[in-house]
Amino acid sequence: MSSDSERFAEAEDGGPQPEKHCGHGRGGMGEEVKRKEDQRFITGRGNYVDDIKKSGMLHCELVRSPHAHARIEDIDKSRALEVDGVVAVLTADDLLEYDLATMPTLMDDTQDVLVNDKVKFQSQEVAAVIATDRYTAKDGAQKVDVDYDVLDPVVDAADALEDDAPLIRDDIEGQEDNHCLDWETGDEEATAEVFDEAPVTVTEQMLYQRLHPAPIETCGAVGDYDPGKDKLTVHMTSQAPHIHRTLFAQVSGIPEHKIRIVSPDVGGGFGNKVPIYPGYVVAAAASYVLEQPVKWVEERSENIQSTGFARDYDMQGELAATEDGEILAVRTDVLADHGAYNAVAQPSKFPAGFFNIFTGSYDIDTAYGTLTAAYTNTAPGGVAYRCSFRVTEAVYLIERMVKVLADELGMDPAEIRRKNFIQPEQFPYESPTGWNYDSGDYEKALDKALEMADYDHYREEQQRRIETDADKLLGIGISSFTEVVGAGPGKSCDIAGVEMFDSAEIRVHPTGNATVRVGVQTQGQGHETTFAQIVAEELGMDVDDITVEHGDTDTDPYGLGTYGSRSTPVAGAAAAVASRKVREKAKAIAANELEAAEEDITWDRESGEFHVAGAPDRSISITEIAAGAYMNKPAGEDPGLEAVNYYDPPEMTYPFGSYIVVVEVDRETGEVEFEKFVAVDDCGNRINPMIIEGQIHGGLAQGIGTAMMEHVTFDDNGNVTGGDFMNYLLPTSMEIPNFETGHTVTPSPHHPIGAKGVGESPTVGSPPAIVNAVVDAMAHGGISHIEMPMTPDVVWEKLDEAGLAADPADAIALEFDGQWSDEAADD
Amino acid sequence: MEFDGEFELEDVPPEQAWIVLSDPVAVRNSLKGCRYITPMDDDFSYDEYEPDENLETLPEADPEAVAERAFKEGQQYAALMQVGVGSVKPRFETTVTIEERDEEQFIMTATGSGTASGSSFSMESGMQIHPLEGSEGSRIEWWTEADISGRIAQLGSRVIEPVANKIVSNFFGDIERQMSDVEETDSGITDRIRGML
Repeated sequence: MSSDSERFAEAEDGGPQPEKHCGHGRGGMGEEVKRKEDQRFITGRGNYVDDIKKSGMLHCELVRSPHAHARIEDIDKSRALEVDGVVAVLTADDLLEYDLATMPTLMDDTQDVLVNDKVKFQSQEVAAVIATDRYTAKDGAQKVDVDYDVLDPVVDAADALEDDAPLIRDDIEGQEDNHCLDWETGDEEATAEVFDEAPVTVTEQMLYQRLHPAPIETCGAVGDYDPGKDKLTVHMTSQAPHIHRTLFAQVSGIPEHKIRIVSPDVGGGFGNKVPIYPGYVVAAAASYVLEQPVKWVEERSENIQSTGFARDYDMQGELAATEDGEILAVRTDVLADHGAYNAVAQPSKFPAGFFNIFTGSYDIDTAYGTLTAAYTNTAPGGVAYRCSFRVTEAVYLIERMVKVLADELGMDPAEIRRKNFIQPEQFPYESPTGWNYDSGDYEKALDKALEMADYDHYREEQQRRIETDADKLLGIGISSFTEVVGAGPGKSCDIAGVEMFDSAEIRVHPTGNATVRVGVQTQGQGHETTFAQIVAEELGMDVDDITVEHGDTDTDPYGLGTYGSRSTPVAGAAAAVASRKVREKAKAIAANELEAAEEDITWDRESGEFHVAGAPDRSISITEIAAGAYMNKPAGEDPGLEAVNYYDPPEMTYPFGSYIVVVEVDRETGEVEFEKFVAVDDCGNRINPMIIEGQIHGGLAQGIGTAMMEHVTFDDNGNVTGGDFMNYLLPTSMEIPNFETGHTVTPSPHHPIGAKGVGESPTVGSPPAIVNAVVDAMAHGGISHIEMPMTPDVVWEKLDEAGLAADPADAIALEFDGQWSDEAADD
Repeated sequence: MEFDGEFELEDVPPEQAWIVLSDPVAVRNSLKGCRYITPMDDDFSYDEYEPDENLETLPEADPEAVAERAFKEGQQYAALMQVGVGSVKPRFETTVTIEERDEEQFIMTATGSGTASGSSFSMESGMQIHPLEGSEGSRIEWWTEADISGRIAQLGSRVIEPVANKIVSNFFGDIERQMSDVEETDSGITDRIRGML
C-alpha cells in the first residue's frame, strides 16, 4: 500500500490531514486507495468501443431524418450503393425480413429501429449505410435519397395535449391523442382537506428543463457475429450488459447463450447508456447478415439529438403549513414530456420513477401527486441522469417549495427545515407515499454545513448589501435532500421483468490473490477499486491482490447494471456477502491447518487473519488458507475457495446531505458568481473517501451545469436547437468554484457493510441549493422562483421585475459625470 | 423564421426596379451562392443541368431576351443554392413557383422549397415596389417566411440570422448596382421591355 502510506506521509509534513478511518493498512474500508483503473486511463491505455478494431471490420453510418414529423414516401438507395466501398444500405424493409424493424423500449413501447412509416422526431434513424471505412459510410449516407411528406410537428407537452394537435402515435391501435400515461400517488381527499383548512398555503410552478446526460464518450457498438461458432458478440457502450443480452435474445430470437455482450471501458454513462438504441441493433444485425464485424459510433450531435434525454418535468408544487412553519401537506401536479416513445428507463412498475419521494427529508403526514405524460415530436427519453429514477425532480420540487414557504412566512430557510425534519429516532420511517427510509440524521448534516458555510456571517453580509444598495446582491441557498437509491428489492423493482438484484463472484487463487467479478458495470465510478476494497476488508487481503472484472456477460455473474446509485448498495452488498461465504469456508481450512476445531477458529478484522480463539499467536492468513484450499484440503471439503452471491436487497438505501451555496448576483449584468459552495454528504459507511470526494466534485459540476447552463431546446419546426456543444453548454473548469466537502456517517442498518451509495447525491442535491441561493438574493424584491438554466439574461429579467436591476441610466450618468438628465436616459 | 425589410433607391423609378427584379439572371447574379435560376419541367435534373454561365444582363443584354426570360406567373423555376452556415455548407436543390405577378402594383410573390443533405427548407416570399415619396425613386418592401429543418436549423437563429441578413443585404446592394447600371443606359430600353412584358 505504498500509495496510501505516501498520502499519510504527506499529512505528517503538515499537508491536508486525511481523515482516520477504520482502515487496517491493507486498502480495506475507509482507506483512500488510489484508483486502480486510473493507471490505464491516464496513460492512454483504456479500451473503449471505438478503440476496438477487428479484421475485416465494416463501418455503419445512420441516415437520420431532418424533419421532426414526416411520412416516408420513398427511400432510394441507388446513388448510395454506387459509392465505391459502400457494401450495403439497410432500411426498415430489410430489417423486417429478420423481424428487427422495431424493438421494445424498457417501458414496453415499440420503437422503430429504422423508420418504417413515419418519422416521429428529428434525427430519427431512417437508413443505415455499411461501408469499408467510416468516411465512405458517411459519403454513402449523403446519397441515400429519402422522400418525406412533411407533417406538422408538436414539440411541447402542453401543446401536444391540445385537441387540435397532430397525432404522433398513429401506430398504436386506438391511440387518438398524444396522451401517454397518467399516474398518481398519495391520498387525494385527505390532502385536499388539509389544504382547505391550512392557515398558510404556497404554490409555485417550476420546469425541470430537458437535459442531456452528455457522457464524453458517445454511444457505439461493434457487432461481431462468428458464423463458425454461431455466436454474436456485441461490444457496446452499455451500463447494463446482462439485461441488454436478455433483450437482444428476446428481440432477435438468437438463443441467449449464443449472445455475448461486452461493455469495455465506458467514458461516462449518467443514465444515457441504459436504453438500447437503434444503432446497437443495426450494428449487430448487419454483422449477423454480412458475417463481418460492423462498427457504429455516433457523433456528438447524434448523441445529443437522438439518445435518452433527462428530466422535462413541468411541476406545480403546493405546500400547506401552519403560521409557524410546520408543513402539513404537499401536493404536486406534473406534466411530463416523454418524447416520441415511452422509453423512460426505470423499473417497470414505476412509470414516474421514484418521484413520489417528494416529501423529501421532512415529516409530512399528507401528500398527493398526479402526473400526466405526453408524446411529443422529440427524441424519446426520461432517463435517470445521474440519479435514481426521477428523484432529482422530486428533490428539486420539495427543496424549492420549502424555500418558497420560508420566504412566505419570513422564516430562516435553515430554521424551517430543522422544524420539519424526520427525527433520527423515527427511522425506519414510512413516508405518506409508501417509502420506507432506512436511516438518517438530517439535522446533524445541516448543522455541519451551516458551520462550514459560516452561515450567520453571510446572512449579516447579505443584509448589509441590501442596506447599502450594493452593486452585487448576496444569496444563500440550502438544500437538505434525501435520495432513495439501490433498486431492488426484486419484488417491487424489475427491468423488463427481470428482478433488480445484483451479484458478485469471488475466486481466491492457489497463490493467495483473487479475482472478483461483479454484475454491475463501471463507467468511471471506480468499481475496480471500490469492490476490491470491500473484498479486501472482508477477507483480510491486500487490495493490490484483488482484480475486479466486469462488463462481459460470458464471464461475469448476471446483474442489472450500474445506474440509480445501485452498485454499492446492491452489488457492493453481494461482494460483502460473497466474501463472508468465502470466509466461512476459509474457517474450515484454517481449522485443518491450525489443527483446531472449526468452532474455535475466529477471524480478526484488524489483522485480517484467522486464529484459534484465545490464542492469537496460532494464526493463519488468507494467503496460506488459499494454498491449503488447493493443496491440502480438509477431508470432506470440496477443493477451491470461491463463492458467488446474488443479492436481493431487502430495502433501498437513503443517502442524504445538506448543501449550502452562497452566490453573488450582479445587479447590472445578471451574472451569478459562487462565493461559497459547501456539500455535506452522508452515504452511510464510506468505502473510499477519495473516490467519494471525486464523485461529489463531478456531480456538483453537473448540478451547476443544470442550474446555470444546460437546456435541450427545440424550435417550432421540431429542430433541436441545443443539439451540439456550441448550443448546449456544459460547465468547464472556468465555471466551477472551489467546493468544500464534509460528511456525516449514518450507516444503513440493512446493508451488509452499512453503505448507501453516493455518486448521484451531488447532481440531485445541488440544483435546488443553487436556485434557492439566486432566489434568496432577490427575495426582498418579491421574487419567489427563477427557472433553470439561470443564464444572465434570465436572472437580469428577474432583477428587473423585482426593481433590483442596476438602472443603466445610473451607470451612464456616472460615466458622463452626471450630465445626462433622467428624461434623456428614459428615452 | 420570418425575415422582412425594405430599402430605398432614390434614383431608380419603380418601373426600372421591376424589370431588374423580374430577370432571373439579374437575380441570380446578385444572389451569392446561387448557381442558376431556370424554368423547370417535370423532367428537370439538378445533377444533369448545365447552366449557361455567360448570360448578359441589362444594359448589355438583348432587351428581347430579357423580356423573354422574365419571371412568369405560375411558372416553376429550379435554383441551385449553396449556403455556408457555420461549419456546414449544404447545396440546396430548390424549386420556386411564382405565385403572383401584379404588373400594375409591382407585387411579386413566390413559394419554394429546397433540400440538401441533412437540411431542408420551405418558404413563402414576396415583394412590392412602391414609388418613393418626394422623388422619382422606389421603395422596395420584401418579406419571407421560412421553415427550416435539419442541420442548418439546429445551428439556431443566432447563427442563421446573420447569414440570412448578409445574403439579403448583399443581394439588395448588388441589385441596386444593377438597377443603377440600367438607368445609365437609354431609358428607351426599359420602356421597350415593359411593353414586351
